[in-house]
Amino acid sequence: MNSSAPRLFEQDQAGRAGARSSPASPEKDSVNYMTTTHPTDVTPTKIAILGAGRGGTALLDLLHQIPAIEIIGITDCNPGAPGLKRARELRVPVVPQVTELIQNHGVQLILDVTGDPALGAILRSHARPEADVLSGSASRILWELVQHESTLQAELLHAEKLAGIGSFAAGIAHDINNPLQLILGLAENLEDETDLETIHAQAADIIAAVKRTTAICRDLTSYARRSAAHNHSLVPLSARLDEALKIARYAVGFHDIDIVKRYAPDAAASGNPDELLHVFVNLITNAIQAMDGGGTLTLRTAIEPDTVIVQVSDTGCGIPPDLFNAIFEPFFTTKPPGKGTGLGLYNIKHVIHQMHGTIAVTSEVGIGSIFTITLPRTVQT
Amino acid sequence: MSEFKSGFFVGGDACNGRILVVDDEPDIRKVVKMTLQKAGYDVLEAENGEKAIETINSGENRLLLDVMVCDIRMPKVNGIEAIAYFRQNYPRVPLIVLTGFPDTDMATSLLRQGVVDYLVKPVEGEKLKAAVARAMEQRELAPL
Repeated sequence: MNSSAPRLFEQDQAGRAGARSSPASPEKDSVNYMTTTHPTDVTPTKIAILGAGRGGTALLDLLHQIPAIEIIGITDCNPGAPGLKRARELRVPVVPQVTELIQNHGVQLILDVTGDPALGAILRSHARPEADVLSGSASRILWELVQHESTLQAELLHAEKLAGIGSFAAGIAHDINNPLQLILGLAENLEDETDLETIHAQAADIIAAVKRTTAICRDLTSYARRSAAHNHSLVPLSARLDEALKIARYAVGFHDIDIVKRYAPDAAASGNPDELLHVFVNLITNAIQAMDGGGTLTLRTAIEPDTVIVQVSDTGCGIPPDLFNAIFEPFFTTKPPGKGTGLGLYNIKHVIHQMHGTIAVTSEVGIGSIFTITLPRTVQT
Repeated sequence: MSEFKSGFFVGGDACNGRILVVDDEPDIRKVVKMTLQKAGYDVLEAENGEKAIETINSGENRLLLDVMVCDIRMPKVNGIEAIAYFRQNYPRVPLIVLTGFPDTDMATSLLRQGVVDYLVKPVEGEKLKAAVARAMEQRELAPL
């Protein structure tokens, strides 16, 4: 690495652009990169959420990603409610008493998604008069909109994945037509081959070639399928990266690319395996495309005390600092029209935030880029 | 080094010409070589454009190579770059493209550059041999 320090930019869990030093960055001299694309000077609206069941959890998940909103607390009479656990993960305050939360001095909007009619009276008598209250059917509509948004996100992810598969055509043709050429040539030879040993050897070559070809269809159909929305499991990250390498080979030529793997074998994270595969395929494809004419792709997984790290590094063209923010925005692309959807990194950010992780980029023009995903460490039982 | 000479008979095998097969897949080189050898050609192999350029520039090949069969997607020097080099430096050697990915725009552009045939894998032995035979007729003799 050269003497000028690469810059680090990170989008935190709330989607707010901010700078922080990352333990994941291999460069000790990283300079934090401050960005102001999001209107951080606007005072966020302070919101309290009452109810931490499915509705409250969905609202929490969505609202905590919006920079113009600050969730000042969430409460539920059931201490085991799923939303309270999620709130702790997101570092949103969990407030034991409803009255304490709704009397908070800063609160501007109270979202009541408990569906509990008894709460109406409490709100009327205890809530601060300057706070707006959304309850009953109004909060129900809000919840439905949130669910609708989550469906749209899943659709977007799938659409972007399918659009990407279009670029696999050349790779698939190469990987199917080459074995077919071998099969055809050997079969033609077998028509008049008399040497028994040669016949056996060539028949075995044909069988092996057919098996290689069927593997292509198996890989791709499993990749193209719609990922089940709540299919969460403990995902072994290094194995997933290897699988992504196989898929990415269809999208981009790996000629003249050296691949370095630095895996922590046991690195695993809780998440949707299909979505993670999609994330890794995207990052690897981007990295290879950045290295037109060759370079080194480094895949790294690491286990830290509270987190697991996945890093995809390239020695490619790099990203100018003024684009660090933009690359995560929807429809941003540097590719020619028809070549990229501009949704790749936007979707990656969304998937990683859903997993309560972060994604950061370190880059230097002409040197390369490092994308670092940090995920909460799941304790294996 | 082979003892074959274009148009000569050596050891009972007819040598119809010397062909260089350029493909990064050993399987493809093997099967194309097998087909062409059975048709009486002397076949050389190269695994990428760089090796192909090395091969044509070594020893008697610069004089005796008759036809090249070249893939497009290859590491190091790819087919497009190699073809440009051969057209410039060895315009007398006819080029046949044998690719796994049919691309009309690329085919048009390559044929315009003087490539004599654009074959898409999998290609039958008879078609390949016919293409090579046509190319042999188009080749020009090396300048003395």
